[in-house]
Amino acid sequence: MLDVEQRWELIDKIAKRTIKFGKYRHTLKDAIAEITVKPLTGIPIAIAVLYGFWAFFVAFAGFFTDGFLVKLFDMHWLPWLQEVFPAGKESWLYYIFVGDPLAENCFEAFGMLTSGLFVAIGVVLPAIVAFYLVLIVLEDSGYLPRLAVLIDTVLHKIGLHGYAIVPSILSLGCNVPACTACRILETKKQRFIMRTILAIFIPCGAQLGIMLKVIPETVGWVILYLLIGYFILGFILSRIVPGESPELLLDIPSYQRPTFSNVGRKLWVRTSSFFTTAIPFVLLGVIIINVLYLTGVIDWLAAGLGPLLSGWFGVPKETVGALIVAFLRKDLAVAQLSAIEMTKYQMVTSVVLVSIYFPCIATFIMLLKEGGAKGFLGSLAALVATVFLYGGLLHLIWILLGVA
Amino acid sequence: MKNKFGSVYFSIFGLIVLGLGIAELIIGVAARSFTWSILEISGEFLLWKGIILFFAGFFYLSSVKNLTEIHQLAKNVMASVMLWTIAGMQIFAIITESIPGGEEGWINTWEGFLSAYSPPYIPALILLPFSLVTIYYVYAREK
Repeated sequence: MLDVEQRWELIDKIAKRTIKFGKYRHTLKDAIAEITVKPLTGIPIAIAVLYGFWAFFVAFAGFFTDGFLVKLFDMHWLPWLQEVFPAGKESWLYYIFVGDPLAENCFEAFGMLTSGLFVAIGVVLPAIVAFYLVLIVLEDSGYLPRLAVLIDTVLHKIGLHGYAIVPSILSLGCNVPACTACRILETKKQRFIMRTILAIFIPCGAQLGIMLKVIPETVGWVILYLLIGYFILGFILSRIVPGESPELLLDIPSYQRPTFSNVGRKLWVRTSSFFTTAIPFVLLGVIIINVLYLTGVIDWLAAGLGPLLSGWFGVPKETVGALIVAFLRKDLAVAQLSAIEMTKYQMVTSVVLVSIYFPCIATFIMLLKEGGAKGFLGSLAALVATVFLYGGLLHLIWILLGVA
Repeated sequence: MKNKFGSVYFSIFGLIVLGLGIAELIIGVAARSFTWSILEISGEFLLWKGIILFFAGFFYLSSVKNLTEIHQLAKNVMASVMLWTIAGMQIFAIITESIPGGEEGWINTWEGFLSAYSPPYIPALILLPFSLVTIYYVYAREK
């Protein structure tokens, strides 16, 4: 048996015989890695990366959705369904599956086989593929950990650290895996703050895709408003939630070229879950909302919640249907908003409300699973307060600007 | 000699990039558009593009002293990468817009396809070929 000193001596002997020391040659890759984490040079580079991310997302999703899928659904699928659907145009079955018989596009029809399929396949799927494709390339190239280091100081102000950028960016794809990704944060306090602010303020890829289609000119302002809310709520929670916010200790990998096979495999894994989890919820959402319309529940709710919606938030009472469907799928809710007559400002408020209002049911389940009953109730309390205060604040801004 | 040429070249180029970045920022803030010959400063994300070009120009200028030194060259490479990001995304957007046929059919006509690639172009696209000199310096250093 060797004692500690003898073990270290043995290690020294082995090291001397096996390790060769030489002068390390600093490579261009090392120098680039250094300047991407220094704030002065790293922040402009991060702006360029995020611009590339967004520009690719818009061009890729636009190519498939506006270039081909809108035409396929509006000019071929919708007229064909309206013609061959076996039930009469006055029947409830027609209303649920095909929707409005006079509709000229799939956005307005709001049937399960028209709007439901169009939203899921025609709008959301290209957006999800574009988002994950860029995210995977950034992950595999080694840029994401550098972004974490770069944003560390800012995120410390809201009780988090640089690694919180991972669930935040993942959340832009889907809030569900992002809730799980909060586990990379060390303390209960950090995980609670992260789960709560991402569930309220970060729109998922599906919702982003629809927002881009419904409010293309103002989507940037909506995202900015949500981003400000993300930091305000994070700051407040970091002050009132007890617990620790430790420093970031992060091992940064070197830059490397992403391989096609890895990117392809990861893309398939992430997008295939969209088919099994998201599409059934979209279709189910359309059925439920149409049944609620047929049975008069939506009208009853609209009448009851009308004063609150139009008085406090300044949106038409008809948005109640979209707010109900938002509980199932937020993308579908934004699509439904596009069929309601309202001003540009009311539309922006409605889209913000749908975003910060209750997260979709899948995220809800994840909040409960990850945070337990106590954490879930805490997130819920923060959410209700945020919807009323932050939603009302937007209405106040419109009043002050004289446009409400 | 190579170093001196690179320094002079990227000093001039950096100033042009910086200038065009400032122009994009001003036109973006004023919500206007500007067209001159094959150059066009307008369109979506103008402020973003202006900020990126501005910093790319700044990086080029800060890299000119002792250009072949590895940290200086890294700044030069990143300036070019920023420029290539804007230009690359513009090329990608042009390609995706040139293929679908609009109201007439599924695929664009030959004339419609070609017209999508005709000028005017955004500043980053015009600057793109001139920024490729960076690649020469990277390869020269590796050799």
